[in-house]
Amino acid sequence: MRIQIKSKKPDSDEQVLTNIWKKQEPRIDLLKKFPILDKFVKSRYFQNLLILPSLIVFYMILIAGFFGTPVGNKNIAIVFTWILWWFLLIAILVPFASRIWCAMCPLPFFGELAQRLTFFRVREGKTGPLKNKMFGLNRKWPRFLKNIWVQNISFLALCTFSAVLVTRPFVTAMVLGSMIILGILFALVYRLRVFCSYICPVSGFLSLYSMTSTLEVRSRSTDECKKCKSKSCITGNEKGYGCPWFIYMGKHERNNYCGLCMECVKSCPNDNIALNLRPFASETKIKSFDEAWKGFIMLGLAMAYSIILLGTNGQIKDWANALETGMWTGFLKYSGILWSSSLLLLPAVFLGFSFLSKLISGNKEVSVKEVFLNYSYVIVPLGLLSWIAFSLPLIFVNGSYIISVISDPMGWGWDLFGTAGFHWQPLLPEYLVYIQIILLTTGLYFAMTRAKTISERLFNTRKQAIRSLIPISLFSLIVCFAFLRFFVG
Amino acid sequence: MFFKRFIIKKFWIVVAATIVGALAGGLAGSGTEAPASKNITIKARQYAYDPPKIIANKGDTLLLELASLDVVHGFYLEGYDVDAEIHPGINTFKIRKPSEGYNWETADVITVILTRRGKFRYRCSHTCGTMHPFMQGELIVKPNTPYHAGLGGIAGFAIGLFMMMGISSKELKVVTAGK
Ligand code: SF4
Ligand code: SF4
Ligand code: SF4
Ligand SMILES: [Cu+2]
Repeated sequence: MRIQIKSKKPDSDEQVLTNIWKKQEPRIDLLKKFPILDKFVKSRYFQNLLILPSLIVFYMILIAGFFGTPVGNKNIAIVFTWILWWFLLIAILVPFASRIWCAMCPLPFFGELAQRLTFFRVREGKTGPLKNKMFGLNRKWPRFLKNIWVQNISFLALCTFSAVLVTRPFVTAMVLGSMIILGILFALVYRLRVFCSYICPVSGFLSLYSMTSTLEVRSRSTDECKKCKSKSCITGNEKGYGCPWFIYMGKHERNNYCGLCMECVKSCPNDNIALNLRPFASETKIKSFDEAWKGFIMLGLAMAYSIILLGTNGQIKDWANALETGMWTGFLKYSGILWSSSLLLLPAVFLGFSFLSKLISGNKEVSVKEVFLNYSYVIVPLGLLSWIAFSLPLIFVNGSYIISVISDPMGWGWDLFGTAGFHWQPLLPEYLVYIQIILLTTGLYFAMTRAKTISERLFNTRKQAIRSLIPISLFSLIVCFAFLRFFVG
Repeated sequence: MFFKRFIIKKFWIVVAATIVGALAGGLAGSGTEAPASKNITIKARQYAYDPPKIIANKGDTLLLELASLDVVHGFYLEGYDVDAEIHPGINTFKIRKPSEGYNWETADVITVILTRRGKFRYRCSHTCGTMHPFMQGELIVKPNTPYHAGLGGIAGFAIGLFMMMGISSKELKVVTAGK
């Protein structure tokens, strides 16, 4: 086993800090270890091969959504999207393969095709700073929107209607269909994957939770990048497109906005890109408030869904399902609670704990803002593991719909593989609580241990660092208890 | 490598604290009450049950009658091998044991002897409308040991982990404060 330890050569204050931020952890370079994989990701067929199956399923979903049965659990549009895809995404792809979904996602496919005007080749030329020929207006995205606030709000808005979205095939198909159209429009007007970076509602949580992922694309040596004249990873060349996500590999240290498209692996003339396996939750740096708020929104939603969808209260279900029940006043109440708790209440509670953390640490120089922003990372592993715990019943309890719907994707009474009659059959439902307890504990483990890493870059002395952890650990424990109450109590 | 790191970091403290916490929590939450017999009528509607929550004690016997207020609903009680199909307007319902396949029988009451503790959900097993996959209720059989042991165990885990992190932490090299 080849283990690559990132070198620690402190030269400037800033460099010293980055080295502390990047926790010195072992990495395994998969491209060096598996030459076949190296060949595969360097092939120009790589991304299209990944997209093809999801594109086919995507079309089946659109057709079934528009023309199939309106009964959600008998329609592939609902069963494949909200049971199968969702579970694979949150429980497997994001924690273990970062944003690999974004390399196989069908939504930006046509937009990217329109920009490149070719399936497999690379068109050389000049488009602004890029050394690729790109079709479209290639406008820059306005600076003030270069954050994930649009995604935060659009995601919360979409999720407000989730009880409708995840139960009506037609609505699911409408939303997915309009996303693909938006994707094309944005690709024609703006540069590269502006749609993915700043608009796609799914993108926000993918970026946040991919920080925990055990996979990363990184430069093998940043010194090499400093010497490099061409910077082909961001400009592109005859071998590959400039990074569609605008990443310069010499400064790339967080997974958040890398779509794992592997263009940089192809374009780097110095073969300087690694695909690393790394320990879970290796990155611990939240950079700005939009990212922190994404964390609160996700945590708030996980709690809300645990109550609305997995809970027993019919009233709240009626409110969330206003499209059918007509209880729009209730719907307003429910959305008001949802929005204010994830945008205001949770952050306010965390601000309180951050304040306590600073107070108990005894450190006078560090600001509450720094403490808040840095420690807000704990809701990343906590939130992700809570989401997995929440999603577990979806697949274990309702997974059998996948078996029946495969034979009758439209709900028209077909029986393609002889499994259409498969009765709904939950899998070990009474044991789920134990798996959920383990998942929540795992989340707590990563929240607390990563908080310790963060404390060491925030504070001056061991004593301050450890003291500051008390309120943050308490907050994490309370979040765990809340989910334990929903799931087990 | 994985385990070596755990040993170096004195992970045994965490394991011990978790076990102690779980045992303490489990024991603290285990009062016993004399078994009783309870008649409960569960009314199903789109998309909830009334009562949404049944709280009983281990050893109790539940006599459940099922009714539907609107369309055909199901009643799948996890952990107790019960699945029923409830039709509106009639007092009887179809019932089967999922472990024995699809031998439906007609009944007017279900007898459930509460032998297992914890939280068990009853879910609609018959597609009844949009929110059908989320239609569910809860049977809580006290003492809810998994919950109490979970609370204690997680609290113990947190305390143990905190102690471990404190012991294994080293003095920091000061670089720049507050960045
Ligand atoms: S950001 Fe959204 S649209 Fe873009 S690839 Fe990822 S999931 Fe698809
Ligand atoms: S092209 Fe390669 S060596 Fe040059 S900056 Fe990019 S990753 Fe570094
Ligand atoms: S850094 Fe850019 S080019 Fe490289 S894999 Fe990530 S998104 Fe693709
Ligand atoms: Cu029902």
